[in-house]
Amino acid sequence: MSVAPAPVVDVRSLYVRFGEVDAVRGIGFSVPAGSATALLGRNGAGKSTTMRVLAGVIPPTGGLVTVAGHDVRTEPLVVKRLTGYCPDVGGLVPRATPWEHLQLAARLRRLTGWEERARELLERFDLGAAAHRVTAGFSHGMGRRMSVVLAAFHQPQVLLLDEPFDGVDPLGVEATMEVIADARAAGAAVLVSTHLRELAVQACQDAIVLRGGSAVAALPAARMTGEEGAGVYRELLD
Amino acid sequence: MSTASSSTEAHAGRVAEAVRAAADVGALLSFRASGVRGRSRRLAYAGLATVLTLTVLAGWLPAYLPGGDRRTDVLSLLPSAMVGILVIAIVSAAASGGGRELVPRDQAVAYPVSTTTDHLGALLMAPLNIAWLLQAWTLLAAMAYVGGAYWGLVLTQLLTLLWLVTATALAQVVGWALEWVRRGPHGTWAARGLMVLAGLGGAYLVAADRLVPLLQKSPTLQVSIAALQGRTGVTPLYAKTFLVLLVVAAVAVVLGAVAASAVNRRPARDELRLETSTHQPRPHPGSDLVAMLRTDRVGIWRSVPLRRGLAVLAVMPGLVAIAGGLEWEMLPILPGLVASGGALLFGVNAWCLDGRGALWRDSLPVAPGLVFLSRVLVLVEVLLVASAATLVMASLRAGLPTVDELAAVTAAALVVVLQVVSASLRWSVRRPFGVDLRSARATPAPPLVMVGYSARLALSTTMVGLVFSLLVRLSWEWSVAVAVPFLLLSAWRLVRTANAWGVPEVRSRVVATVAA
Repeated sequence: MSVAPAPVVDVRSLYVRFGEVDAVRGIGFSVPAGSATALLGRNGAGKSTTMRVLAGVIPPTGGLVTVAGHDVRTEPLVVKRLTGYCPDVGGLVPRATPWEHLQLAARLRRLTGWEERARELLERFDLGAAAHRVTAGFSHGMGRRMSVVLAAFHQPQVLLLDEPFDGVDPLGVEATMEVIADARAAGAAVLVSTHLRELAVQACQDAIVLRGGSAVAALPAARMTGEEGAGVYRELLD
Repeated sequence: MSTASSSTEAHAGRVAEAVRAAADVGALLSFRASGVRGRSRRLAYAGLATVLTLTVLAGWLPAYLPGGDRRTDVLSLLPSAMVGILVIAIVSAAASGGGRELVPRDQAVAYPVSTTTDHLGALLMAPLNIAWLLQAWTLLAAMAYVGGAYWGLVLTQLLTLLWLVTATALAQVVGWALEWVRRGPHGTWAARGLMVLAGLGGAYLVAADRLVPLLQKSPTLQVSIAALQGRTGVTPLYAKTFLVLLVVAAVAVVLGAVAASAVNRRPARDELRLETSTHQPRPHPGSDLVAMLRTDRVGIWRSVPLRRGLAVLAVMPGLVAIAGGLEWEMLPILPGLVASGGALLFGVNAWCLDGRGALWRDSLPVAPGLVFLSRVLVLVEVLLVASAATLVMASLRAGLPTVDELAAVTAAALVVVLQVVSASLRWSVRRPFGVDLRSARATPAPPLVMVGYSARLALSTTMVGLVFSLLVRLSWEWSVAVAVPFLLLSAWRLVRTANAWGVPEVRSRVVATVAA
């Protein structure tokens, strides 16, 4: 009898409240090692908030969220060491260069000999020529690509990509797909939040659809491919 | 028959555009006001009411003060005080790239806002600046004191207010003109050259004892005489001055709109240069704190408004000290001015330095306390460097200090810097704002909030400065003894704010706000 692998990301009855607003209402899901899961849903469904909780940036109001067995509420620093996070907005310090971002992250993550991988990733995302340029002048797509580099370059156990394809050109999308595939191959749990259903299906095996702060469906991503999949997704959004 | 538009039609078109631009200012004000709700709205109303009340009181109550020889002394200073408001308005407009924005650039970009509207908005924003307000209140108070309690004081103050409007409009023209030069070919160097020339000119006037004679020949002498004639009614000089000021103000407003339009046609070279600048990598940081400090420092020194603002703050009070021949007894006041001004550039919303990178930075594995410490150290070092530069300049005329004087000034600088840093970080955690500090015209918080912050900082640091001005005459031990409790109080407040920053719910609110 085969035993299911323990989930690296485990979310149970997650609640997040901002003042009078419930941004997330009792979401639960898990992501095992070596797999990629898409978080889908309309604006305000709770995708980014869930990602922020997993990244240790927002504390949960209720429920239990663990990353590799560590509670995000009680062990946020450990969780931050284990995760790589590409936020949905910005993600770059305006007046620092990409290389300075990498230096900061490498120092705080205690990485050694990281330079080669950093250069390789920058080249893969077509950012090699801009490695020492201030990011304030970056286009939106360049900023998104750089955020993915920062999330992935320390090869985290959990890769959290929030809207990584937003405004990114086809080569950037391809590079992001490669990063997701590499992470999975290395045994990482990947969570991708996006509005782009076709890309989500391409990148992930599983999909969770959120609506109004709650999870309304968890299904194999393949069920949302093509016209038929679009119909399924459309029904879940209403 | 020619189909070209006639000059009459063109004129009518320009007038229609001007009317539309003025109406758009109202629309932008409403838009801005709509974003202020609940407690913030009540605070905003209270702030406006306070400013108006203080203005009325400043222009009225001193009239009932006892007179004597001091009245003559104050009378002789009125023309200089009027020039002072012009200088402050020019410095403010020039340092802020033409003037403050009524609506931040990133928010206004979706709307067809004309440069005339932008110019009128900048004019409206100009008085929301504590340096301008203090100078204006001082002028109104001096006029009331010299004029005395007559019904004609209303006319006196009416002309004084008209001077304030005229001076601000003229300063706005200079501000736009300097920004136009700055955006031209080799503009940065040209603007710096002009400022150096102005500084050297001022230094020459002081060194040659020609500043006071020049001020005595200033047209503001006639304005002050005319204003004071208002006590006896509308005299011919009063009427003539009133009309001249009105015309000058109107012409300045129009010229300002033309200059703003010319500025808009030139790219902001300073900002573009910094946004596309490259920086060779430095050796890897040796500790987490060094890594954090480096990132925080680049947020300051690669930002146009912060660099420009800090340079102005470091130099201007020093120049004033040299021009005024300030003795060491008065120098303890200066660090407070510099530190307050520096904090108002970014410190009062210190986390906005990370901009949209705040979410990513908060996802890095580092203790919140270290992040907080880094921000404190960076703010302290920036304010201390600017204060030190001012004091060194001031000492050029004040001469070598005694040990007691040096101790008092140093203690004053340390106390006010830590006081300002503790207040700034407290406000940064309590009321963060999502602002983009790329533009030289941006402020770290909305204008009315900035007035509140600057008033509180100015009051507290001036009080401390006055205390240490008295201590200059005593032995150095007194300065140290008085400084210690002040420093301990600020340190305690910083620890309290650091504890608040350590609470995940508080931190996440700050981070999400500044990254929005």
